[in-house]
Amino acid sequence: MGLVSAAAYETVETDVLVMGAGGAGLRGAIAAAEAGARVLIVCKSLLGKAHTVMAEGGVAAAMHNVAYQDSWEVHFADTMKGGKLINNWHMAELHAKESPERVLELERWGAVFDRTWQGRIHQRPFGAHTYPRLAHIGDRTGLELIRTLQDRVVHTTGVEVHMEVTVFALLKSEGRVGGALAYRRADGSLVLYRFGALLLATGGAGKMYRVTSNSWESTGDGTALAYEAGAQLRDMEMVQFHPTGMVWPVGVRGLLVTEGVRGEGGLLRNKDGQRFMERYDPDRMELSSRDVVARAINSEVEAGRGTPHGGAYLDITHRSPEFIKRKLPSMYEQFLKLAKVDITKQPMEVAPTIHYQMGGVRVDAETAASSVAGLYAAGEVASGLHGGNRLGGNSLSDLLVFGKRAGDAAAASAKKNPKAAAAGIDPAEIEHAIATLMAPLDRPEGENPYRLMAEIQDVMTEHAPIVRDEAGLAAGLEKLDGLRARAEVCGTGGGQSLAFNPGWHTAHDLRSLLVNAEALLRSALVRKESRGAHARSDFPKTDDQLASVNFVVEKTAGGMQVRPEPRPPMPEYLADAVQRSYALYTPEEME
Amino acid sequence: MAEKRITVRATRFDPAKDSEPRLQSYDIPFSDDSMVVLDALNYIKSHVDGSLSYRWSCRMGICGSCGMTVNGTPKLTCSAFLRDYWPGSITITPLNNFPIVRDLVVDMEDFMEKLKSIKPWIIRKQEMPLGAGEHRQTMEQIDDFRQFSQCINCMLCYAACPVYGLDDKFLGPAAIALARRYNLDSRDQGTKERLPVIAHSDGVWECSFVGECSVVCPKGVDPAKAIQQTKLDTSVRFILPYGNRE
Repeated sequence: MGLVSAAAYETVETDVLVMGAGGAGLRGAIAAAEAGARVLIVCKSLLGKAHTVMAEGGVAAAMHNVAYQDSWEVHFADTMKGGKLINNWHMAELHAKESPERVLELERWGAVFDRTWQGRIHQRPFGAHTYPRLAHIGDRTGLELIRTLQDRVVHTTGVEVHMEVTVFALLKSEGRVGGALAYRRADGSLVLYRFGALLLATGGAGKMYRVTSNSWESTGDGTALAYEAGAQLRDMEMVQFHPTGMVWPVGVRGLLVTEGVRGEGGLLRNKDGQRFMERYDPDRMELSSRDVVARAINSEVEAGRGTPHGGAYLDITHRSPEFIKRKLPSMYEQFLKLAKVDITKQPMEVAPTIHYQMGGVRVDAETAASSVAGLYAAGEVASGLHGGNRLGGNSLSDLLVFGKRAGDAAAASAKKNPKAAAAGIDPAEIEHAIATLMAPLDRPEGENPYRLMAEIQDVMTEHAPIVRDEAGLAAGLEKLDGLRARAEVCGTGGGQSLAFNPGWHTAHDLRSLLVNAEALLRSALVRKESRGAHARSDFPKTDDQLASVNFVVEKTAGGMQVRPEPRPPMPEYLADAVQRSYALYTPEEME
Repeated sequence: MAEKRITVRATRFDPAKDSEPRLQSYDIPFSDDSMVVLDALNYIKSHVDGSLSYRWSCRMGICGSCGMTVNGTPKLTCSAFLRDYWPGSITITPLNNFPIVRDLVVDMEDFMEKLKSIKPWIIRKQEMPLGAGEHRQTMEQIDDFRQFSQCINCMLCYAACPVYGLDDKFLGPAAIALARRYNLDSRDQGTKERLPVIAHSDGVWECSFVGECSVVCPKGVDPAKAIQQTKLDTSVRFILPYGNRE
């Protein structure tokens, strides 16, 4: 136990601690600082490298620059219908109303967007959006968004950034979260952050699965920390398979192929050359919602109509090479470099890949406050906006709208609770958290954490696939029990060094993944219907009774509990917006 | 047919134990033609030695995390194919011109300060209220600076720059390209504010026009062009005081 007792920590104080430097974290930090708070951002990797950078297609906002018919009501209705109506309708309303302003703000700060001939921000069509709605710059919108926010953060007074720092425990005092223990990746030294309020902006947990568009950082840290701190999670059964990930080469399996390809006219075909979407959603075809397209590709492959690598063809060759290179430059480059496929001449091969977690921390619509005092969450780590299925483009707008709201609210909360950062924290709790973090370093013979991570991914891939069933989910839970026991005593996979030791870091990440995986399996077991991203072969129909129910996950003395919770009905004006029929959009109007 | 294998040598350095970096050799399976150098590192980390440290994230050349020196050239390891080196071996070392933290990880903190100094945001004499909508801009106006806006901060250009290697006060290729990107942006009116930094002795004039920065750039940003354009621009401003574009 030599390492444990030797582990001292430094204490750093701030008003608002922001965990994560993706879109939501950065936008939240800017808002909190502008509200007068001292803000500290901690992020797992370097500033500017967060997962947001990989977003391609665009930001959804009803600015009606391309289709004059668009309005917040239509965006709201699309989001609710896409989410199969289990969204938090108030979040969806705020999101639809506020995203145009958030996009304009970004433009003010320097973001570059493709433009219409009048010089306005151009908007491209995307799956299940009634009108062209995605503000974008080619297919690298995430990069532009993160750069703009990063540069804004750099020149916002009162924001400090601690890079390559991982938070491993939240600490409470009198029911309020006021401390976070973290280690610096560079040298393994420990920090205790004390704060008035904490904004979680940690993203998703795609690394639960073998094939994912997510990078190594997406281990669901925020969801797990919030859960351990007593916060409620919601809709954890809802994870999105993006319909189009690369299927080969093996090294890049799961890498995202932007929905922008379909937005710009790309066609999906099976191995027989048939546009199979006409059998699954004849009205919207390739631009149906992601859950529908992903299941359609899955069904085609299972019926023996898949491509050689087990996917579908995505074909944009009917567009001119100039058009493709201008509208989809990254895709063009990505396929040429990685797969030696020229997408102006050959179709791509694509298959579903784990992409996004709709579920997450349960938050208040207006303030992004969790059920634990002092704890806020925004972006993918939060739940509610997307319900049972997220529409493309609604993630970047989510980050901006709720990042700002969360930052504002966290700053106000910190101001109202000036003593929170100094409130007493049980030293035994700190000691225990540190001991748990350090333990793998003391187990040179312990099991390799990478192997355990691969096994968690195998379990989720096998037991929580696109189409689930009770027996599979239950068996998955049992396997997780075994993995949890092994993870508790695992080693580092070689190397006892404190300096930049990825094996040691991974041993900790396993704990986050296991919480997310368990919550997913348990929630999926109790939602006995098929809705949105959650499809059950044993309950293939949608149960109208469950349209007004969300499943809430909580930590109890007896372990993880999932319970149904009714959601209040929408006010009439919102229900109207959902039921109204909107004039169809014809692309000819676009030019 | 026997399984194809490839020899990968990687820098190992643990500041707690080692006085200086050394190379360690790994013989790993080259199982798929599409494998990149990053796949080789991930293989080593997952199957051979879990303590090997390096940065990476997106696997698709957009986050700019996985820059390292591969057989002497700065590269994004997610875009460097093993097939281009096989049957030869591969030597992976950290990016030059930065202090090593551990193994293949270097300290890039310096760039953040440089970034801030060139004011990479739109500067207006007068802010328009949000209600007035976006600044109008045409696709042609964007074409003026599009190239310089593609930077992913991967630092390959700093690793390749002989001037930065000798003097880390040099503003450097990426920062100057970014300044150029804003100076050329039709929405911006801040050229004058950026001038003192880029025309300073540590700014563009330090550059000896070796052009390596543009050769190694994975995004075609061409920082060398930005630097030369800026030199010309600042000279014209000096000679013609009324030539300032606003």
